[in-house]
Amino acid sequence: MNLWKDWRLHAIVLGIVIVTEFIGTHQISIGGGVVLLLPMLYAIAIGLGLYFTPVVKEKQSKNAETLIFLAVSLLIAKFGVTIGPSISTILEVGPALILQELGHLATLLIALPVAVFLGLKRESVGMTHSIGREPNVALIMDKFGLNSPEGRGVMSIYIFGTIFGAVFLGLISGILATALPIHPLSFAMASGVGSGSMMAAASGSLVSAFPHLETDIIALAGASNLISAATGLYVSIFIALPLTEKMYAFFIKIREKKNKVEG
Amino acid sequence: MLRNIQEWTMVLAIIGLITLVGNWIGYDVMPLQAIPGMLLLIGISVAGLILDKLLPFNIPAIAYISLIAITLSIPGVPGSEYVVKWTSEVNLLAITTPILAYAGIAIGRSWADFAKLGWRSLVVGSLVLLGTYLGSAVIAEIILRVQGII
Repeated sequence: MNLWKDWRLHAIVLGIVIVTEFIGTHQISIGGGVVLLLPMLYAIAIGLGLYFTPVVKEKQSKNAETLIFLAVSLLIAKFGVTIGPSISTILEVGPALILQELGHLATLLIALPVAVFLGLKRESVGMTHSIGREPNVALIMDKFGLNSPEGRGVMSIYIFGTIFGAVFLGLISGILATALPIHPLSFAMASGVGSGSMMAAASGSLVSAFPHLETDIIALAGASNLISAATGLYVSIFIALPLTEKMYAFFIKIREKKNKVEG
Repeated sequence: MLRNIQEWTMVLAIIGLITLVGNWIGYDVMPLQAIPGMLLLIGISVAGLILDKLLPFNIPAIAYISLIAITLSIPGVPGSEYVVKWTSEVNLLAITTPILAYAGIAIGRSWADFAKLGWRSLVVGSLVLLGTYLGSAVIAEIILRVQGII
């Protein structure tokens, strides 16, 4: 407790915010898309870099971790007060908002076959059944145990997402939304992936790329995040995990057949 | 409970102050102009956190925070126009920068585990994030087009 008294931590963050906001947003065009370099992305990089200097001590890092939950609640409140005035829009796009949750299953179509063909075995079930945040880690641990291959798989994606998730989604959401013929509002609905910092990065990039749609983007991202938070775990338990098992069995069979032919 | 409330309020006040500085430098909103909106956001957050502690339902705190914020800002609810007007002075990106600065400092502790991940985890991890994001966007796009909204 007494997180607020960690003045060293808050001073460091204030310093990071001042520096990064002065640097401001920069754009790099690549092919048909735009990579947005935003202050929040420098902030995560500088914060991580400072961890390895004497400026940040173990105590600051621990406190920061507990504190993020409170910081995200401010963001959730901001999303909420933007949803209210747009409530009629939200209801109108309700079907898309709810069904896009099933889009999370696309990770099975893309990531699972690759995992299996890279030679991963049961690990791939833990790795690809979901985006691997806290509720999903809890689900896999509950079902398979901490030291199971599935458990190791979900932990590796959890760690990957923790370190790289926000930066990755921040960068690709800018590129994809400017390069692909998919509407920014569809990407806004996709931003609620079930992690506060990833949602912040993804929707922040969209707002920066399409400032004229700011209110709609924030309202839809906030609404989709709320739906993800409410339904995500159930989608994992009743749809994603059973489906992962079925598809895993299917892809493993193909791999074994292929190995037999080659061997 | 009182200690909790004090802790939440103080922490949020500090994050709020840092946000106002970023909001000023990055988005040219004078801090004085954004203070009412920030106080509202802090109040909504604290109220949601208190409800989460008091009520017996197994619902995450962010659901309470969302519901309070949405209710206060729905058109027709007394005072909602002020809620919307004041909070619009606080930019989304000004809130996300300090959050990710804290996140950057926090994730340093996971770096040793991250460095141990094999290249296959990096490939699969990237595809998991890409698949989730793109999959949702494609489904949303299809339904919005079928509905004729975009």
